[in-house]
Amino acid sequence: MQVTVKLFATLRTNRFKVKVLDYSSGTTILDVARDLDIPKEELALTLVNGISVEVDHEIRDGDTLSLFPPVGGG
Amino acid sequence: MLTNDQIIRYSRHILLPEMGGKGQEKLLSSKVLLIGAGGLGSPVALYLAAAGVGTLGIVDGDHVDLSNLQRQVIHATPDIGRLKVDSARETIAQINPDVRVVTYPEYITATNIGGILSEYDLVVDGCDNFATRYLVSDAAVIYKKPYVYGSILRLDGQAAVFNPPQGPCYRCIFPEAPPPGAVPSCQEAGVLGVLPGLLGVIQATEALKMLLGIGEPLIGRLLLVDALYMEFTEAKVARNKNCPVCGENPTITELRDENYRQETCNTELDETEEEK
Repeated sequence: MQVTVKLFATLRTNRFKVKVLDYSSGTTILDVARDLDIPKEELALTLVNGISVEVDHEIRDGDTLSLFPPVGGG
Repeated sequence: MLTNDQIIRYSRHILLPEMGGKGQEKLLSSKVLLIGAGGLGSPVALYLAAAGVGTLGIVDGDHVDLSNLQRQVIHATPDIGRLKVDSARETIAQINPDVRVVTYPEYITATNIGGILSEYDLVVDGCDNFATRYLVSDAAVIYKKPYVYGSILRLDGQAAVFNPPQGPCYRCIFPEAPPPGAVPSCQEAGVLGVLPGLLGVIQATEALKMLLGIGEPLIGRLLLVDALYMEFTEAKVARNKNCPVCGENPTITELRDENYRQETCNTELDETEEEK
């Protein structure tokens, strides 16, 4: 199945901004992060189709996944 | 009642059907607490003062540093070395003498936050570290004050309004602070000077809307700003019934300083080191 993965801020470093990737059904957000070599602690916010979900959420064909690192400055 | 000068000063507000004279009077009798007079705090304080928010409380124990001036626009070069709250108070007095500024030249803690926060209608977050942000958020839930959230790093920022039971609180979305060292500070990673301006003005807008009770605030929506591509993403965020603060069976019902020390901001540590 095809999933659009959008990376934000520092998660883009040595990776990409947006890419369509192939995954098998049953893949979770955490699996995608592992595949992209993103440590779990660098995932502060994970969206599927614009809705905030947990990292164990299973993604579906056609989903858009957006991954954000923590932001804490001011 | 507005004076003749106030009718002129706020005429562009009064012309707005959403505001009118009544709305302006409401702002003049409103009390907003601002945590931090730094990057985010500067534009928030400047615009809320110009808008005629009657009382602005500003909490910050820090002093103005040369490296602040690239973004902390409420302070100027002659202010280097002064308390940020003193410098901010002076700037605000020049912009709008209608505003009463209450300064707290200290850092916010679990011990002092209750007494300070209970005096205000709403709190705006301009702090620079996770420990303080969790403290302010938890206190806002416990003391039932709307919390206008903002944070920035490098070229990215976030903003939202947290006011449970209407929408989630900060902890519903971000249950725990990231482990120490996992997130670089602004001092380590940098921040584009205009970025806090962008996010701070969004926070000020949301604060005014909340005080006036107009429009649709950023409740249940987290705004994510990517300045490099100038993309605004809106995330739908929901309440977590297991949230330790605003959930069905809260475990955080009182504030203790030891619960907000697990991680500290590198920036704050570094600045403390510098001051020594």
